[in-house]
Amino acid sequence: MTRRGVGLSAVGRPAAAAALALLTTVAGCARDPSAPVLTFSGSAVGLEADVLGRQFARFEANHPPLTVRLRVTPDAADERRQLYVHWLTARAADPDVLQLDVIWTPEFAAAGWILALDPFQPDITGYFPAAIAANRWQEHLYALPWFVDVGMLYWRTDLMPAAPTDFEALTRVAIGARSRGVRDGFVWQGARYEGLVTVFLEHLGGFGGAIIDEAGAVTVDSAAAVAALTFMRDAVWATGIAPATVLTWQEEQVRFAFQNGQAALMRNWPYAHRLLQDERASRVAGRFGVAPMPAAAGGSPTAALGGSHLAINAHSDRPEAAYALIEYLTAPEQMLERARVAGYLPARPSLYDTAELSEALGLDARRARAIVDRAVPRPVTPLYSQLSEILQVHLHRALTRQQEPRGALADAAEAMRGAIARAGLDARSAEGSEAP
Amino acid sequence: MNGNESRLVWLLTVPALTVIAGVATFPILWTFWESLHRHDLRMPWIGMPFVGLDNYLEVFADRRAWSALLHTVFFVATTVAIELVLGLALALGLHRVSRGRGLLRTAALLPWAVPTVVGALIWRFIFESPLGPVWFADASAAWLPIVVADVWKATPFVALLLLAGLQQIDPALDEAASLDGAGALRRLREITLPLLAPALAAAIVFRSLDAFRVFDVIYVLTGGGPGTATEPISLYAFSVLFRELRIGYGSALSMLVFAVSFVLALVWIKLLGAARAGDVGS
Amino acid sequence: MIVTPAGRRLAVAGTMLLVTAGLVPLYFALVSSLGPEARLFEAPSLRPDRIVFDHYRALFEHRDFWTPIRNSLIVAGATTGLALALGAPCAYAIARLPFRGKAWILSGVLAVSMFPQVSIVSPLFLVLRTVGLVNTFPGLVLPYLTFAMPLSIWLLVGVFRQLPAAVEEAARLDGASRLRAFWSVALPLARPGLATTAILTFLYSWNEFLFALSFTLGPERHTVPVAIALFRGQYQVAWGEVLAGALVATLPIVLLVLLAERRIVSGLTAGAIKG
Repeated sequence: MTRRGVGLSAVGRPAAAAALALLTTVAGCARDPSAPVLTFSGSAVGLEADVLGRQFARFEANHPPLTVRLRVTPDAADERRQLYVHWLTARAADPDVLQLDVIWTPEFAAAGWILALDPFQPDITGYFPAAIAANRWQEHLYALPWFVDVGMLYWRTDLMPAAPTDFEALTRVAIGARSRGVRDGFVWQGARYEGLVTVFLEHLGGFGGAIIDEAGAVTVDSAAAVAALTFMRDAVWATGIAPATVLTWQEEQVRFAFQNGQAALMRNWPYAHRLLQDERASRVAGRFGVAPMPAAAGGSPTAALGGSHLAINAHSDRPEAAYALIEYLTAPEQMLERARVAGYLPARPSLYDTAELSEALGLDARRARAIVDRAVPRPVTPLYSQLSEILQVHLHRALTRQQEPRGALADAAEAMRGAIARAGLDARSAEGSEAP
Repeated sequence: MNGNESRLVWLLTVPALTVIAGVATFPILWTFWESLHRHDLRMPWIGMPFVGLDNYLEVFADRRAWSALLHTVFFVATTVAIELVLGLALALGLHRVSRGRGLLRTAALLPWAVPTVVGALIWRFIFESPLGPVWFADASAAWLPIVVADVWKATPFVALLLLAGLQQIDPALDEAASLDGAGALRRLREITLPLLAPALAAAIVFRSLDAFRVFDVIYVLTGGGPGTATEPISLYAFSVLFRELRIGYGSALSMLVFAVSFVLALVWIKLLGAARAGDVGS
Repeated sequence: MIVTPAGRRLAVAGTMLLVTAGLVPLYFALVSSLGPEARLFEAPSLRPDRIVFDHYRALFEHRDFWTPIRNSLIVAGATTGLALALGAPCAYAIARLPFRGKAWILSGVLAVSMFPQVSIVSPLFLVLRTVGLVNTFPGLVLPYLTFAMPLSIWLLVGVFRQLPAAVEEAARLDGASRLRAFWSVALPLARPGLATTAILTFLYSWNEFLFALSFTLGPERHTVPVAIALFRGQYQVAWGEVLAGALVATLPIVLLVLLAERRIVSGLTAGAIKG
């Protein structure tokens, strides 16, 4: 166990040599070393890996001598972003193509980490306008939408005649279900993370508020916002329709509560739909539906717009090849294939009119499109990570009863305004101005 | 000290010190340099202006930083105290067991062997169980899983350190005292503990410094929540550096954490006399 | 230690209690890893109602878990070896040889190991990238030495100080040089302490996450904590596989510690401590 008296030369050199040999062997044995290689960094868990592998192979066949290599990253959004920040600050030339969460584009663009795509003249008419708008920074386009995510209300068809369309009906139905023995009424993602902001955004829109209004001012302390946050807090501690555990839950725990038949209503993303239909694992297969989130008087049903986009590393050695790959992956056939295999909603509206998509997804495509069309993006600003963190902290404080909603939102608004002012930016990207 | 001896000292110490200095110097100096500038990755057009000690002043005015410091001090005091007591108990127990020694010691060491993030995930899994209260939704209650997870993991480390120290104690001393009629508790207090002082010192120094920089355990269990109720100082620095991308301010925070740790270490060293230049064997 | 029979029984019982308490979470993890996925989100139970090996199979068939285990063993082993090889002489010099500035060296060495990891990740990455060591074994071992070396130096200083000086004195009176006293006398006497230090250093490296995540780029160099962390999907945490992986990952440690334990015992019976 103990190695004595052995200096660096005796141990270190053979070790380094072995490591180097191993690395070159592994790197070299897979393909022709002189062929140009594109590195793609993105989501590749399970089924996604399969579909990506196939699409890469087809791309390579159409674009010799390019080869595409997948760079594995943690799939949790925060961690992937950390790694991207890490690599891009060090000006690493690879990965060439990056899968970005919809809220990262302005930040990465402002930092100079991704290339503007305008020189490649992409055809943007085929995508959802909201998704394109989320990828603009200072009038340039920095990423192409790949797939979209929207928050939806999942409801149990055997526990209620129809999905509730306003918050009071939702509360009534949830209480009713609980009195008949269902453990939880309404479950949603309430842990202190980005998901909480999306849930809040949907409640906020339902009460008629917004995080930032059209004039670019922070309105997160408005009466509508206080009403929305109070509703969420009361759902846990007053009416009891949501279990206290939602305050620690992310998407998966919420899904399992609904999937195991323990919840009457759930707010979640489209990915859950396919898993809920799987009869082998799901106890609610065939007994649920999806609908837009409810709204109160003065508000409208709101879905938070999520999704992923593809961008080019600003330090990449081969931007044209990278763009070719992005163009290929965002083409309709590839999007449809991804929908069929992994259940992701395509970012192209035209696909929703086809019967193929409904079949591929297992849900009515037109209804999904109706939700996407009205989806609300989160503020498009390079400061978003910081603004979101401020909001997350204060929302969670109010929800865990450390502070009243009014006070928490007032503090959040003040901190957000301070951050924006210090940066000297207008919060909206389209009118984003240079710092004075 | 003659020429030969001083050359010997060089020969023995320089390789280790070179490696440490070689790898660590640039990053530490870089962090210090960054802390003197305003550097925000999201706004490269601002550049990297020199701002002197502004970042440090901002830290002193930052309420969240003070809360984080308070949380950290609480965490250090609680976990180190519990780990010392349990670790000593475990070490004393393991020391007396003769049958199945190897197996028992291995079993005792297992919690330490599990990677921190994985152990924390297991504890989160247990504390999130539908049975029992919702620990993580309450600002005070959320500390319990954190303390439990850390104590669970680190007690074997303390126990092993103390066990090694126990094994170096000459059993003849204890025998003699027992023959003189001293009870077990008295022997523990007057013979064992004093002789164990160096091992205790090492355990306290390492554990409190480690606890001061706690990150993984809290990141996995609560993420610093609910709200920011369990956020330690290193998690806050992480948030500033990697989420807000404010490198200058984050570096100032890191330098302060480092400075406090360093002062803490010096204090412990002085108090426990662990670095007394005992000149044995001349 | 002399103890009454009752006292001994109490000690043994107390120890068993503590050790068992430490094993309970691992037992839960084991039971959960042997159950089907949906079962994971219900209350954890002490008795498994269904045993399936899906998660373990997925671990080795889909995830190629051997590679991270191999990587962790190499990195932790190299780090431990180097930390002991370089740290032991340094610790001996500090413990036995008179010279000025010991407190400074010890404090400095400790200070380096205390620097917050989160802030040196980025500059370290820059350095490693410049010398081309990203995603290599040396690229992990070198950063790991920044905390492994101070740990081993500090522990070994204590170990060497505890050794009875008389034995070394005797050797030197017989004509042995300092160096020889170190090599032939002090080191063998210090074997239990060296083994302990080796175990602790190895485990420190084995557990490390942030550097491993940041300085490796692909599965061919990922270590165990990183591999397990990557089991988490965007929404889906593969709890079954995470728990299974955690348990599988502790097996090499168990073997290692069992082996090293014998060294500790043999060191004692070698009669080094007896007067």
